[in-house]
Amino acid sequence: MSRYAVNSLLYRLKKEPEFRARFQADAAAALTGIDLTEPERAAFVAHDMRRINELGGYLHLVMSVPGLAAH
Amino acid sequence: MGKIVFAGAMSHVLDPDYYQRACGDEGRRMVTDCMTEIARMGERFSATRADALIVVADDHLNAFSFNAVPALCVRIGTSVQRMKQDHAEAFDAVLDHMPEHYPLHEDLANQILEKGLGSGFDLAMSWEAPVDHAFLSPVNTMHGTRPIPPLVPIWVNCFVAPQPTPKRCFDFGRHIARVVAASPWNVGIIATGGLSHFPELSLPRVGETDTVFDRKLVHWMERGEHEPLQELTVGELHKTGEHEFLNWMVLIGAITPARAQVRYFGELRRINLAAVEWSLA
Repeated sequence: MSRYAVNSLLYRLKKEPEFRARFQADAAAALTGIDLTEPERAAFVAHDMRRINELGGYLHLVMSVPGLAAH
Repeated sequence: MGKIVFAGAMSHVLDPDYYQRACGDEGRRMVTDCMTEIARMGERFSATRADALIVVADDHLNAFSFNAVPALCVRIGTSVQRMKQDHAEAFDAVLDHMPEHYPLHEDLANQILEKGLGSGFDLAMSWEAPVDHAFLSPVNTMHGTRPIPPLVPIWVNCFVAPQPTPKRCFDFGRHIARVVAASPWNVGIIATGGLSHFPELSLPRVGETDTVFDRKLVHWMERGEHEPLQELTVGELHKTGEHEFLNWMVLIGAITPARAQVRYFGELRRINLAAVEWSLA
Protein backbone atom coordinates (compact mmCIF):
# COMPACT_ATOMS: atom_id res chain seq x y z
CA MET A 1 0.00 0.00 0.00
CA SER A 2 1.30 3.42 -0.90
CA ARG A 3 -0.42 6.23 0.94
CA TYR A 4 1.26 8.73 -1.37
CA ALA A 5 0.30 6.97 -4.62
CA VAL A 6 -3.35 6.57 -3.64
CA ASN A 7 -3.81 10.07 -2.30
CA SER A 8 -1.87 11.94 -4.95
CA LEU A 9 -4.07 10.16 -7.51
CA LEU A 10 -7.23 11.14 -5.62
CA TYR A 11 -5.94 14.71 -5.48
CA ARG A 12 -5.39 14.75 -9.27
CA LEU A 13 -8.86 13.36 -9.85
CA LYS A 14 -10.32 16.12 -7.72
CA LYS A 15 -8.28 19.03 -9.01
CA GLU A 16 -7.65 18.18 -12.69
CA PRO A 17 -10.97 18.08 -14.60
CA GLU A 18 -9.32 16.84 -17.82
CA PHE A 19 -7.64 13.93 -16.06
CA ARG A 20 -10.93 13.16 -14.29
CA ALA A 21 -12.74 13.06 -17.62
CA ARG A 22 -10.17 10.65 -19.08
CA PHE A 23 -10.51 8.50 -15.95
CA GLN A 24 -14.29 8.44 -16.19
CA ALA A 25 -14.12 7.50 -19.87
CA ASP A 26 -11.57 4.69 -19.40
CA ALA A 27 -10.17 4.29 -15.91
CA ALA A 28 -7.69 1.53 -16.74
CA ALA A 29 -6.22 3.54 -19.59
CA ALA A 30 -6.00 6.73 -17.52
CA LEU A 31 -4.05 4.85 -14.85
CA THR A 32 -1.44 3.53 -17.27
CA GLY A 33 2.03 4.32 -15.99
CA ILE A 34 0.84 5.30 -12.49
CA ASP A 35 2.62 3.38 -9.74
CA LEU A 36 -0.14 1.48 -7.94
CA THR A 37 -0.41 -1.98 -6.43
CA GLU A 38 -2.83 -4.32 -8.13
CA PRO A 39 -5.46 -3.99 -5.33
CA GLU A 40 -5.17 -0.20 -5.58
CA ARG A 41 -5.51 -0.27 -9.35
CA ALA A 42 -8.52 -2.61 -9.17
CA ALA A 43 -10.24 -0.35 -6.63
CA PHE A 44 -9.77 2.72 -8.81
CA VAL A 45 -10.91 0.92 -11.97
CA ALA A 46 -14.04 -0.18 -10.09
CA HIS A 47 -14.59 3.38 -8.77
CA ASP A 48 -14.82 1.70 -5.35
CA MET A 49 -14.30 4.59 -2.97
CA ARG A 50 -14.92 2.48 0.12
CA ARG A 51 -12.10 0.16 -0.90
CA ILE A 52 -9.89 3.11 -1.79
CA ASN A 53 -10.52 4.49 1.71
CA GLU A 54 -9.58 1.10 3.19
CA LEU A 55 -6.38 1.20 1.14
CA GLY A 56 -5.36 4.53 2.64
CA GLY A 57 -7.29 7.09 0.63
CA TYR A 58 -8.12 10.04 2.84
CA LEU A 59 -11.77 10.34 3.74
CA HIS A 60 -12.20 13.95 2.68
CA LEU A 61 -10.90 13.12 -0.79
CA VAL A 62 -13.03 10.03 -1.32
CA MET A 63 -16.01 12.12 -0.24
CA SER A 64 -15.37 15.01 -2.58
CA VAL A 65 -13.99 13.95 -5.98
CA PRO A 66 -16.65 15.32 -8.35
CA GLY A 67 -18.72 12.62 -9.97
CA LEU A 68 -16.97 9.85 -8.05
CA ALA A 69 -17.51 10.86 -4.44
CA ALA A 70 -18.87 8.53 -1.78
CA HIS A 71 -21.26 10.16 0.66
CA MET B 1 -0.58 46.97 24.14
CA GLY B 2 -2.71 44.56 22.16
CA LYS B 3 -5.37 42.25 23.45
CA ILE B 4 -7.44 39.24 22.44
CA VAL B 5 -10.93 40.69 22.64
CA PHE B 6 -12.97 37.76 21.35
CA ALA B 7 -12.54 33.98 21.23
CA GLY B 8 -14.93 31.45 19.83
CA ALA B 9 -14.93 27.99 18.29
CA MET B 10 -17.53 26.35 16.15
CA SER B 11 -18.38 23.63 13.67
CA HIS B 12 -17.51 24.64 10.14
CA VAL B 13 -19.93 23.17 7.64
CA LEU B 14 -22.65 25.74 8.21
CA ASP B 15 -25.13 25.04 5.47
CA PRO B 16 -28.77 23.95 5.92
CA ASP B 17 -28.92 22.33 2.48
CA TYR B 18 -25.85 20.18 3.23
CA TYR B 19 -27.40 18.89 6.43
CA GLN B 20 -30.79 18.43 4.79
CA ARG B 21 -29.13 16.07 2.31
CA ALA B 22 -27.03 14.36 4.96
CA CYS B 23 -29.44 14.16 7.90
CA GLY B 24 -32.90 15.25 6.74
CA ASP B 25 -35.16 17.76 8.47
CA GLU B 26 -33.46 17.26 11.83
CA GLY B 27 -30.11 18.19 10.30
CA ARG B 28 -31.51 21.34 8.72
CA ARG B 29 -33.15 22.41 11.97
CA MET B 30 -30.09 21.77 14.13
CA VAL B 31 -27.55 23.46 11.89
CA THR B 32 -29.88 26.42 11.52
CA ASP B 33 -30.07 26.73 15.31
CA CYS B 34 -26.28 26.42 15.54
CA MET B 35 -25.83 29.07 12.85
CA THR B 36 -28.14 31.42 14.74
CA GLU B 37 -25.87 31.21 17.77
CA ILE B 38 -22.75 31.67 15.66
CA ALA B 39 -24.30 34.76 14.06
CA ARG B 40 -24.91 36.15 17.56
CA MET B 41 -21.29 35.42 18.42
CA GLY B 42 -20.38 37.34 15.28
CA GLU B 43 -22.42 40.33 16.44
CA ARG B 44 -20.52 40.34 19.71
CA PHE B 45 -17.23 40.06 17.86
CA SER B 46 -18.11 42.93 15.53
CA ALA B 47 -19.01 45.07 18.55
CA THR B 48 -15.39 44.79 19.72
CA ARG B 49 -14.29 46.61 16.54
CA ALA B 50 -11.25 44.35 16.44
CA ASP B 51 -8.37 45.12 14.10
CA ALA B 52 -8.04 41.52 12.90
CA LEU B 53 -9.54 38.06 13.14
CA ILE B 54 -7.24 35.05 13.46
CA VAL B 55 -8.89 31.94 12.02
CA VAL B 56 -7.37 28.61 13.05
CA ALA B 57 -8.65 25.81 10.85
CA ASP B 58 -7.62 22.80 8.83
CA ASP B 59 -7.12 21.99 5.18
CA HIS B 60 -9.33 19.26 3.75
CA LEU B 61 -6.60 18.24 1.32
CA ASN B 62 -7.45 21.19 -0.89
CA ALA B 63 -4.86 23.90 -0.34
CA PHE B 64 -1.91 21.59 0.17
CA SER B 65 -1.37 18.71 -2.21
CA PHE B 66 0.79 15.77 -1.23
CA ASN B 67 3.71 17.81 -2.50
CA ALA B 68 3.95 19.16 1.04
CA VAL B 69 1.73 19.11 4.12
CA PRO B 70 2.70 21.70 6.75
CA ALA B 71 2.05 20.93 10.40
CA LEU B 72 1.32 24.61 11.12
CA CYS B 73 1.13 27.23 8.38
CA VAL B 74 0.53 30.98 8.46
CA ARG B 75 -1.09 32.63 5.44
CA ILE B 76 0.81 35.80 4.64
CA GLY B 77 0.33 38.43 1.95
CA THR B 78 -2.35 41.06 1.53
CA SER B 79 -5.40 39.01 0.54
CA VAL B 80 -6.62 35.43 0.35
CA GLN B 81 -8.96 33.81 -2.14
CA ARG B 82 -11.55 31.17 -1.47
CA MET B 83 -10.97 27.74 -2.86
CA LYS B 84 -12.57 27.06 -6.22
CA GLN B 85 -13.63 23.56 -7.12
CA ASP B 86 -15.30 22.62 -10.37
CA HIS B 87 -18.49 20.59 -9.88
CA ALA B 88 -18.09 20.90 -6.12
CA GLU B 89 -19.67 18.17 -4.04
CA ALA B 90 -20.55 17.75 -0.38
CA PHE B 91 -18.75 20.18 1.95
CA ASP B 92 -16.94 21.84 -0.99
CA ALA B 93 -20.26 23.09 -2.39
CA VAL B 94 -20.77 25.20 0.75
CA LEU B 95 -18.28 27.70 -0.67
CA ASP B 96 -19.98 28.40 -3.97
CA HIS B 97 -22.02 31.44 -2.95
CA MET B 98 -19.34 33.12 -0.83
CA PRO B 99 -17.25 36.17 -1.74
CA GLU B 100 -14.04 35.26 -3.57
CA HIS B 101 -11.47 37.53 -1.88
CA TYR B 102 -10.76 38.56 1.71
CA PRO B 103 -8.21 41.05 3.07
CA LEU B 104 -5.43 39.81 5.34
CA HIS B 105 -3.81 41.52 8.33
CA GLU B 106 -0.35 41.32 6.85
CA ASP B 107 1.54 42.80 9.80
CA LEU B 108 0.00 40.52 12.42
CA ALA B 109 0.52 37.44 10.23
CA ASN B 110 4.15 38.38 9.66
CA GLN B 111 4.73 38.91 13.37
CA ILE B 112 3.20 35.53 14.27
CA LEU B 113 5.41 33.94 11.62
CA GLU B 114 8.66 35.77 12.26
CA LYS B 115 8.48 35.73 16.06
CA GLY B 116 7.45 32.09 15.86
CA LEU B 117 10.56 31.16 13.90
CA GLY B 118 12.53 33.16 16.42
CA SER B 119 11.15 31.28 19.38
CA GLY B 120 11.14 27.64 18.37
CA PHE B 121 8.05 27.25 16.16
CA ASP B 122 9.18 26.14 12.71
CA LEU B 123 6.09 27.47 10.98
CA ALA B 124 5.37 27.11 7.29
CA MET B 125 4.23 30.14 5.33
CA SER B 126 2.13 30.50 2.22
CA TRP B 127 1.45 33.42 -0.08
CA GLU B 128 -0.92 31.49 -2.33
CA ALA B 129 -2.89 28.82 -0.49
CA PRO B 130 -6.66 29.32 -0.80
CA VAL B 131 -9.03 28.85 2.12
CA ASP B 132 -11.85 26.33 2.10
CA HIS B 133 -15.09 25.98 4.04
CA ALA B 134 -13.22 25.44 7.30
CA PHE B 135 -12.31 29.13 7.25
CA LEU B 136 -15.04 30.81 5.26
CA SER B 137 -18.19 29.10 6.45
CA PRO B 138 -17.75 30.33 10.05
CA VAL B 139 -16.41 33.75 9.00
CA ASN B 140 -19.34 34.44 6.70
CA THR B 141 -21.90 33.05 9.14
CA MET B 142 -20.51 35.30 11.87
CA HIS B 143 -20.58 38.42 9.73
CA GLY B 144 -23.56 38.09 7.44
CA THR B 145 -23.58 41.32 5.43
CA ARG B 146 -21.33 43.22 7.85
CA PRO B 147 -17.75 43.97 6.80
CA ILE B 148 -15.22 41.25 7.58
CA PRO B 149 -12.04 42.55 9.25
CA PRO B 150 -8.61 41.57 7.94
CA LEU B 151 -8.00 37.88 8.55
CA VAL B 152 -5.00 35.86 9.64
CA PRO B 153 -5.64 32.30 8.42
CA ILE B 154 -3.61 29.63 10.17
CA TRP B 155 -3.71 25.99 9.14
CA VAL B 156 -3.23 23.05 11.46
CA ASN B 157 -2.63 19.65 9.87
CA CYS B 158 -5.49 17.76 11.49
CA PHE B 159 -5.72 14.81 9.13
CA VAL B 160 -2.49 13.68 7.49
CA ALA B 161 -0.47 11.64 9.99
CA PRO B 162 1.76 12.51 11.69
CA GLN B 163 -0.07 15.56 13.02
CA PRO B 164 1.19 18.05 15.62
CA THR B 165 0.29 17.07 19.17
CA PRO B 166 -2.46 18.79 21.18
CA LYS B 167 0.24 20.09 23.53
CA ARG B 168 2.18 21.58 20.63
CA CYS B 169 -0.96 23.28 19.34
CA PHE B 170 -1.65 24.67 22.82
CA ASP B 171 1.90 26.00 23.04
CA PHE B 172 1.54 27.62 19.62
CA GLY B 173 -1.57 29.35 20.95
CA ARG B 174 0.49 30.71 23.85
CA HIS B 175 2.88 32.11 21.24
CA ILE B 176 0.00 33.83 19.44
CA ALA B 177 -1.11 35.37 22.73
CA ARG B 178 2.38 36.76 23.33
CA VAL B 179 2.53 38.26 19.84
CA VAL B 180 -0.86 39.91 20.25
CA ALA B 181 0.02 41.23 23.71
CA ALA B 182 3.16 42.88 22.33
CA SER B 183 1.30 44.38 19.37
CA PRO B 184 -0.84 47.51 19.11
CA TRP B 185 -3.90 45.55 17.93
CA ASN B 186 -7.12 44.24 19.37
CA VAL B 187 -7.66 40.83 17.88
CA GLY B 188 -10.35 38.18 17.71
CA ILE B 189 -9.54 34.50 17.33
CA ILE B 190 -11.74 31.63 16.22
CA ALA B 191 -11.01 27.94 15.86
CA THR B 192 -13.20 25.79 13.67
CA GLY B 193 -14.26 22.21 13.11
CA GLY B 194 -15.78 19.41 15.10
CA LEU B 195 -16.94 18.30 17.33
CA SER B 196 -16.87 14.49 17.04
CA HIS B 197 -17.37 13.12 13.54
CA PHE B 198 -15.80 10.76 11.02
CA PRO B 199 -13.96 8.53 13.58
CA GLU B 200 -10.72 7.11 12.24
CA LEU B 201 -11.50 8.85 8.94
CA SER B 202 -13.22 5.64 7.94
CA LEU B 203 -15.93 5.80 5.30
CA PRO B 204 -18.04 3.00 6.84
CA ARG B 205 -18.01 4.93 10.12
CA VAL B 206 -19.36 8.17 8.67
CA GLY B 207 -22.48 8.69 10.76
CA GLU B 208 -20.87 7.79 14.09
CA THR B 209 -19.95 10.27 16.81
CA ASP B 210 -18.50 10.01 20.33
CA THR B 211 -20.73 12.21 22.45
CA VAL B 212 -19.18 11.01 25.71
CA PHE B 213 -15.77 12.26 24.58
CA ASP B 214 -17.29 15.54 23.38
CA ARG B 215 -18.88 16.13 26.76
CA LYS B 216 -15.56 15.46 28.47
CA LEU B 217 -13.86 18.08 26.29
CA VAL B 218 -16.69 20.56 26.92
CA HIS B 219 -16.51 19.92 30.67
CA TRP B 220 -12.79 20.75 30.75
CA MET B 221 -13.26 23.83 28.59
CA GLU B 222 -16.12 25.13 30.73
CA ARG B 223 -14.07 24.72 33.90
CA GLY B 224 -10.91 26.16 32.41
CA GLU B 225 -9.11 22.89 33.10
CA HIS B 226 -6.56 22.96 30.31
CA GLU B 227 -3.98 20.54 31.70
CA PRO B 228 -5.92 17.37 30.79
CA LEU B 229 -6.56 18.81 27.33
CA GLN B 230 -2.81 19.14 26.80
CA GLU B 231 -2.38 15.48 27.74
CA LEU B 232 -4.67 14.29 24.95
CA THR B 233 -2.99 12.31 22.20
CA VAL B 234 -3.41 12.47 18.44
CA GLY B 235 -4.38 8.79 18.62
CA GLU B 236 -7.28 9.56 20.96
CA LEU B 237 -8.48 12.34 18.68
CA HIS B 238 -8.28 10.03 15.64
CA LYS B 239 -10.20 7.25 17.36
CA THR B 240 -13.01 9.53 18.55
CA GLY B 241 -13.36 11.67 15.45
CA GLU B 242 -11.98 14.74 17.21
CA HIS B 243 -9.27 15.46 14.63
CA GLU B 244 -10.24 19.12 14.33
CA PHE B 245 -9.96 19.69 18.06
CA LEU B 246 -6.30 20.45 17.32
CA ASN B 247 -7.53 23.80 15.96
CA TRP B 248 -9.39 24.39 19.20
CA MET B 249 -6.22 23.60 21.16
CA VAL B 250 -4.44 26.52 19.48
CA LEU B 251 -7.23 28.85 20.56
CA ILE B 252 -7.29 27.42 24.09
CA GLY B 253 -3.58 28.08 24.39
CA ALA B 254 -4.14 31.65 23.27
CA ILE B 255 -6.77 32.41 25.93
CA THR B 256 -5.86 30.09 28.81
CA PRO B 257 -7.05 30.03 31.61
CA ALA B 258 -10.32 31.54 30.36
CA ARG B 259 -13.47 29.46 30.72
CA ALA B 260 -15.75 28.50 27.89
CA GLN B 261 -19.47 29.02 27.60
CA VAL B 262 -21.36 26.65 25.34
CA ARG B 263 -23.65 28.57 23.02
CA TYR B 264 -24.85 25.48 21.16
CA PHE B 265 -24.33 21.74 21.34
CA GLY B 266 -26.41 19.39 19.27
CA GLU B 267 -26.08 15.67 18.63
CA LEU B 268 -26.54 14.54 15.07
CA ARG B 269 -25.76 11.09 13.75
CA ARG B 270 -23.23 12.55 11.34
CA ILE B 271 -21.55 15.12 13.59
CA ASN B 272 -22.03 16.82 16.92
CA LEU B 273 -22.55 20.49 16.13
CA ALA B 274 -21.10 23.02 18.54
CA ALA B 275 -20.55 26.72 19.12
CA VAL B 276 -18.48 27.83 22.11
CA GLU B 277 -17.36 31.24 23.30
CA TRP B 278 -14.80 32.12 25.94
CA SER B 279 -15.25 34.69 28.67
CA LEU B 280 -12.29 37.05 28.42
CA ALA B 281 -11.28 39.40 31.20
